[in-house]
Amino acid sequence: MIRLDGITKVFPGVKSLENVNFEAKAGEIHAILGENGAGKSTLIKTIAGAYIPEEGTIHFAGQERKWATPKEAKDAGIQIIYQELMLFPELTAAENIFIGKMPRTRFGTIDYKTMYRRANETLDSLGHRLDPRAPVRDLSIADQQMVEIAKALIGETKLLVLDEPTAAISGREAELLFECVKLLRDQGVCIIYISHRLEEIFSIADRVTVLKDGQNVGTHDIHELDRDKLVAMMVGREVNNIFPPKKTPNADVAPVLTVRDLRAPPKVKDVSFDLYAGEILGLAGLVGAGRSEVAHAIFGSMPRTDGTVTLGGEAFNAPTPRDSIDRGLGFLTEDRKGEGLMILLDMAANVTAPVLSEFTTTTGLDRNYEVQAAEDEIKRFRIAVPGPKSGVYQLSGGNQQKILFGRWARACRRVLILDEPTRGIDVGAKVEIYEIIRKLADEGAGVLVISSELPEIVGLCTRVLVMREGSVTGEVVSTEISEETIMHYATAASADAAQGAAR
Amino acid sequence: MAFTNTNRPTRRLPLDPSLIVVALLLAAVVAVGFALSDRFGTTRNFMNVLEQAAALGFASLGQALVVIVGGIDLSIGAVVTASTVFMAGVVDLHPALMIPMIFGTLLFGAAIGFLNGFAIIKTGVHPLIVTLGTASILNGTVLIYTLQPTGGVPFWFEEFAYGRLGVIPISGLVMLLCFAVVWFLLRYSKTGRAFYAVGGSPEAARLNGIQSNRIILMAYSAGGFFAALSGTYFVSRTGVGDPRIGDPMTLASITPVILGGLVLGGGKGNILGVLLGVFLISLISNLLNYMNVSTFIQWVIQGLIIIFAVSIYVQKCKKL
Repeated sequence: MIRLDGITKVFPGVKSLENVNFEAKAGEIHAILGENGAGKSTLIKTIAGAYIPEEGTIHFAGQERKWATPKEAKDAGIQIIYQELMLFPELTAAENIFIGKMPRTRFGTIDYKTMYRRANETLDSLGHRLDPRAPVRDLSIADQQMVEIAKALIGETKLLVLDEPTAAISGREAELLFECVKLLRDQGVCIIYISHRLEEIFSIADRVTVLKDGQNVGTHDIHELDRDKLVAMMVGREVNNIFPPKKTPNADVAPVLTVRDLRAPPKVKDVSFDLYAGEILGLAGLVGAGRSEVAHAIFGSMPRTDGTVTLGGEAFNAPTPRDSIDRGLGFLTEDRKGEGLMILLDMAANVTAPVLSEFTTTTGLDRNYEVQAAEDEIKRFRIAVPGPKSGVYQLSGGNQQKILFGRWARACRRVLILDEPTRGIDVGAKVEIYEIIRKLADEGAGVLVISSELPEIVGLCTRVLVMREGSVTGEVVSTEISEETIMHYATAASADAAQGAAR
Repeated sequence: MAFTNTNRPTRRLPLDPSLIVVALLLAAVVAVGFALSDRFGTTRNFMNVLEQAAALGFASLGQALVVIVGGIDLSIGAVVTASTVFMAGVVDLHPALMIPMIFGTLLFGAAIGFLNGFAIIKTGVHPLIVTLGTASILNGTVLIYTLQPTGGVPFWFEEFAYGRLGVIPISGLVMLLCFAVVWFLLRYSKTGRAFYAVGGSPEAARLNGIQSNRIILMAYSAGGFFAALSGTYFVSRTGVGDPRIGDPMTLASITPVILGGLVLGGGKGNILGVLLGVFLISLISNLLNYMNVSTFIQWVIQGLIIIFAVSIYVQKCKKL
């Protein structure tokens, strides 16, 4: 369906794509993998006509094409669904699907009847039911994605590109999406699928192309590959073991953190657990199960109505973030740019933010000491940043995350709560982050890891709590830890709960 | 593209790009002034400008602190007005209270600012609306009390505005001192760092144990304090409390803040840029006065300069 030959795209000073050959057929799901900065988005934008390559040719549907604008590519039947959905929240699903090409009556007004009928037909063809009259803002993320896909299918779509479609959804919703994508493939659409999550590549893709440093490392049938091979291709070296060895902590001593009957409505209903020094405890569950809220309620950044918490043996029941930090409890939040980094401050200021008092003398901030501390963290976690005084905004996700690890590992040594510690980070950096987490636990911190990526939970933790709808529904220990058992607790209990509610 | 070498030497920009832009504009105005007028380029004139810049300087300094924490204060002008009427009114009745009333007036301004901050934190209403409401309340109250300039202060109090230490005007000196102290605190104190943190990333600041509410209260209190200092200067200059004198000050106080490269929305910018902005505006109107250009044309020119300067910052930001 589409063939790229010898594509080279140069940005000032950087070669983003170098002599890339790529081909995807009609009726296949072709995954593109690569670390951040490998050239995935440049490649998509070249296909979509948003970038014009310096060298190379594009063949689409058997003809050589030169897109001058994205519109030309779109008119030819190429549809791109970007990570951030581009929908109008106040308009209905059908209006969004037909935006720009709404059917007209003979008076020139919008023919709502036809529009809703055709919207329904399109959604049906995706095997998905939702009310086309519902405003998009009332739809779930998964439904919104379906609207986006339906929008792409209005008109003749030959090639559909999905850029990290599962970044914001999980579990059942992701499966729905996969079914729908497979349906489209069987209808003969060529699908290019971009994702960070290796697991879903194996369940959905027919072929895989790996990009690294702007070059095509190879295209393979999915059967020829396994996880390790794929990772090795992406990282460019053999990664024998993604996860560091597990260690069972000493449970004879008193736990460093105990939580009993924690309630923080509406999301947290009943949570109790112990966390031991040196332990990496997992907190799993579907998106929306209330995991992050548990962390906020413990840390004191969200009010709680009930529950007893002890930290290092002392009662800790009316916390504020300040108290938590002072007592050695750190919280690395899920939303790196919104809640973690201070994007306008330099790297050093980001490292010292929670414990600025340590860097304050009678004459004010000791900037030299602060810079020195930042240098130490740069060395300790091998952070690729020009220096302590440079900004943090342009850094890669992995390096931003390492700065936050530097911040919290320095500030808080008793308990670290890590919420989605590797979200949006490429594989190479993930391996390093896992090592860091192991090291922090070895140094004596109790680590609570919240993650939606089950392989991460399984690979990292010696004990896993599973949450569903605000309550801990299961605890899985050592050898029992597997994706199946975790998913069982995360979802299966719903039948019992529904019965309970009915009674 | 990606940094791979962690041992790269630390690079640092010698100065803020926005500081350079406003400094260059300042140099350009001075150069034009020397070329067009004999009386412009004298020490005497520059000292006069420094003296006259004080009112704008105080107001802009207060505005800048509020802007850094991510807010905006549209009640600056009303606080200026109210503090002139308050000060001149009370001192007229009790001349002995002149010195306590200097502190009383500053405290009054700070209290209004504190209430602004309190209302913003408690209600979550946008600062634009809260401070607009405050401005309306203050202006209304003052105009109920008097429609004409009123009150009076002892004659010696004009020393604050007109007095000189050698050749240097006291008011200008106080303004420079205020800027220096604020600059130092913003750069070298824990609280100053917190100002930038709260302005740039409020949620991250909260989760790093910074007491954002305290910082916001401090910023608005400082905004009111410096507005009242501006009002005090006007009382010293005119000897009366004037119910209209602060009207142009609200918008005027924002101009140097923008020229100085502070980001509306908070978290970024150097207070020295604001000082240069104050000088730039004051020198332009001084020069245009010498050239007998009407005030209205001055406004047009000011507007053009703001748009020009900010468009340069935007270009620079894109490159970074």
